[in-house]
Amino acid sequence: MAAGKADLMRGTLDMLILKTLSLQPLHGLGVSRRIDQITDGVFQVKPGSLFPALHRLEQEGWVKGKWGESENNRRAKYYELTAAGRRRLGAEKRNWAQVALAITRVLEAT
Amino acid sequence: MQAYTRLISFFRSLFRKEKLDRDLDEELASYLEMLTEERVGAGMSRDQARREARIELGGVEQVKEGVRERRLGATLDTLLHDIRYAFRALRRNAGFAFVAILILAIGIGANTALFSNIHSVLLRGIPFEEPDRLVAIGKTINERPAGWVSRVDYYDIREASRSFEELAALADFTVQNTVTGGPRPELIQAHYVTWNFFATVGVNAIVGRRFLPEDETDRTPTVLISYGYWQSRLGGSPNAVGSTITLDGSALTVVGVMPPNTRFLVDADVWRLVDREGPFDRVRDSHSHILVGRLKPGVTLEAAQSELDGIASALEEQYPTTNEGKGLILTDLQGFMVEDVRLSLMLLMATTVLVLLIACGNVAGLLLARGERRQSEIAMRTALGASRRRLVRQLMTESVILTIAAGLLGILGAFLLQDFLLRLLPTGEIGIEPAAINGWALVFALLLSIATGLLIGVMPSLRSTALHPAQQLRSGRHATEGVRSSRLRSGLVVLQVALSVTLLIGSGLLIRSLSQLSTVELGFDPDNLLTGQIQIQSDDYPTLEERTQFFATLLDEVEALPGVVSATLINKLPVLSPAQDWGIWPAENPPQSSQGAFFAMSRWVPAGYFETMGIPLLAGRDISATDVIDAPRVVVLSEATARALFGDSDPIGRIVGIGFMEGSFEVVGVVTDARVNNLRRGPDAAMYMSSYQMGVTRLQIAVRTAGDPMLLVGPIDHLLQQKDPNVLFARPASMASILDSRLSDFRIVILSLTLFAAVALLLTAIGLYGVLAYDVSQRANEFGIRQAMGATSADVLKLVFQKGLVLAGIGTLAGLVTAYPGTLLIRQLLDALDPAASLRNAADRHGELSGRDRLPRAGRRDGLYPSRMASHASESG
Repeated sequence: MAAGKADLMRGTLDMLILKTLSLQPLHGLGVSRRIDQITDGVFQVKPGSLFPALHRLEQEGWVKGKWGESENNRRAKYYELTAAGRRRLGAEKRNWAQVALAITRVLEAT
Repeated sequence: MQAYTRLISFFRSLFRKEKLDRDLDEELASYLEMLTEERVGAGMSRDQARREARIELGGVEQVKEGVRERRLGATLDTLLHDIRYAFRALRRNAGFAFVAILILAIGIGANTALFSNIHSVLLRGIPFEEPDRLVAIGKTINERPAGWVSRVDYYDIREASRSFEELAALADFTVQNTVTGGPRPELIQAHYVTWNFFATVGVNAIVGRRFLPEDETDRTPTVLISYGYWQSRLGGSPNAVGSTITLDGSALTVVGVMPPNTRFLVDADVWRLVDREGPFDRVRDSHSHILVGRLKPGVTLEAAQSELDGIASALEEQYPTTNEGKGLILTDLQGFMVEDVRLSLMLLMATTVLVLLIACGNVAGLLLARGERRQSEIAMRTALGASRRRLVRQLMTESVILTIAAGLLGILGAFLLQDFLLRLLPTGEIGIEPAAINGWALVFALLLSIATGLLIGVMPSLRSTALHPAQQLRSGRHATEGVRSSRLRSGLVVLQVALSVTLLIGSGLLIRSLSQLSTVELGFDPDNLLTGQIQIQSDDYPTLEERTQFFATLLDEVEALPGVVSATLINKLPVLSPAQDWGIWPAENPPQSSQGAFFAMSRWVPAGYFETMGIPLLAGRDISATDVIDAPRVVVLSEATARALFGDSDPIGRIVGIGFMEGSFEVVGVVTDARVNNLRRGPDAAMYMSSYQMGVTRLQIAVRTAGDPMLLVGPIDHLLQQKDPNVLFARPASMASILDSRLSDFRIVILSLTLFAAVALLLTAIGLYGVLAYDVSQRANEFGIRQAMGATSADVLKLVFQKGLVLAGIGTLAGLVTAYPGTLLIRQLLDALDPAASLRNAADRHGELSGRDRLPRAGRRDGLYPSRMASHASESG
């Protein structure tokens, strides 16, 4: 990994993808670019991890893939969040908040 | 809902794989396209953009493989794929597969066959109801296990103990009974038990009933018959129950037929009641009973043992003369019954495991070599997106398929050879049904196959996937063998050599001890010697004189038969009938307690016994025809007995006291020691009394013949029938064949060990050859260069030989080291696997007593049929 870019913590990629898709349905590249954009390039999601993650989320029933048209009228597979995915995202967020809080406390302890 | 979604996904990834893959292809293509366009939009040329997009995407195949691996059901799918691939790969290399499967089949088959025995003997257990609660009780002398328990002590123990639901006693051997009433008398084996024995172990009669308490007191004595006896002698008729059979002159009512294979340590035709008519002394220092108890639920072995300790010390206090130092020891019945066989089985199992390990080493070596040859295939697959984990799994699948095929073949072989293999094992001895290759064995074989496959697969597959693909592809074909891989395979060969050296040393030891046994100095001449049992009915010959007269004229008449050199009688022939050792002491110096006497085998012989048997007389005279009932009683000692009693002073004319006999005996002669008891122990100390002074009705005959002893069986039988049809003549056999059968169990174990060792050696040789052949083929270039630079072919040969010798040498050294613990196990087996030992000695082996230490015990026990033999004979008459 190049300097200035953080490693995605194990398991957080799912959460990021779900969060990204909760705003609007996106295709693979869209998800990748959106994460890049929101995190200011800190996280760059490579296809090697993106696609396996997307397909796993689809198998779990949290996202649903649908073929549609891209901005440039190209066929692309769009993913959208399902109701189960929304619940999952909620759970992951709560979990994350707890973890983050705990870690912050540890780091700020004097 | 979640589970449902996953299930759908699972099936979709299994059965709609093509569609999923197509979708994925398309998705990735569109991704790539969009990436390209993104770049074109940023002002790049189309070609440049495409190139950069590809770089960003990484390997398309790797991404696809990544997605596939994450799919639900991917594991199963991969497995199926791997299996298909493995079959293709193995078919391409059928020769390799064939050899590997064959080698492994030998190892797995042998282990499976043996496992089914171990399962039936050590795991499945004894065929009794709730065997967990059954225990056997023996006694200890001064804290050391020392055989069986006195019947009188048994009554006290039964009375005092609270740990047992039932506590039964049974004789530790069978007694021969003569059945009369048929056209000719017949010899059968009677096992004496207390009435509650079958109730204790939970075995019921299949016709009629088992013993009840009233059988011990009711007017007519009762008997239980074995299934075999019922079938063969009574035609399996249900009317057999209620009928009467005459055993040694007493009429007994048959009350029940026991199920097939009912036996406890010894084979028996009938079961009779100890407490009613057992030919045992009611004395505290005659120890001939095994106690078998059923613990009350919840009572532990430890609790029962500590209760027994208390009872034993109470008895010790109460009866110091007979019970001093006597304790009781409790073992679980299962452990006790398999004790003997366990060791042989363990040795054989260890052997087969070694053979399997050698086979594993062998095939692992083959796989390694094959892995080398498959480097480019593996590199190609890596380049095509296979992860290392995936490749390792693939290679492991191949080796597991190999071993499962080998396992199936091994099971088939074990099944076909079942009868032969089962005969290799002495399990019939202990009353456990012979093993069969059953479902458990199949499960075992399958698990073993898989474990073997993983074992032999792991190293070669890790090894062959370790190289970087680019490097591998670039070099095209590997010119020289990888150093590490070569070392690995050499290591495997060294391991194989070491293991087979261990096996060879082990079987060599056993073979040597067998040959020692078969050439053992017996102390008598076993050639051209016919043996048999003869019994007269005590009713027909009520007095001592009549009995003596009968046997004396019988010997004369037998000696008159053509082909007979001489004939003699004895109560127990050497080797054929062991035990019966009694205390003996100088009359002026009687022992303080019954444990203090010297013990020697007691035998009763007529005049001429030593001459017929070929036992040299060293001093004094033989028993003579004048040593009859009214004459002073005499005894001939064997050297060891004489030395123990009188040291270097002349024993002739000294007076001795003997066992339970009243009065005293004069020593009239000394003969050399002979193996009276059995083959494995050294010559026994013995004493020979005059059979004319014993008045017995049952004796064993020994006939020295000029030619084949078996030719005399007919004439002797004929002679006896003419003389008195009520006389029993049973079990004629040549001494040579008896000796032979005594060695056969032992021989069988050795035979199978030798067989395994030979297989191991063969496998090792193949392994060594394989390594060297591969080595040579890999080093062809190197050898070429060496020769081009002036090396002769002899030099090259030397290189190859050197490698072989070094490998074999290291292996042999390692084998010598590992053989050491193996020889310890074998030594233990040699001590235990006593071909001539009767089962009663099992108890001694149990406690690892030396021959010397066990004598006192055996003496006490064998004090059955004692001085009152004559009176007992008339009792039953």
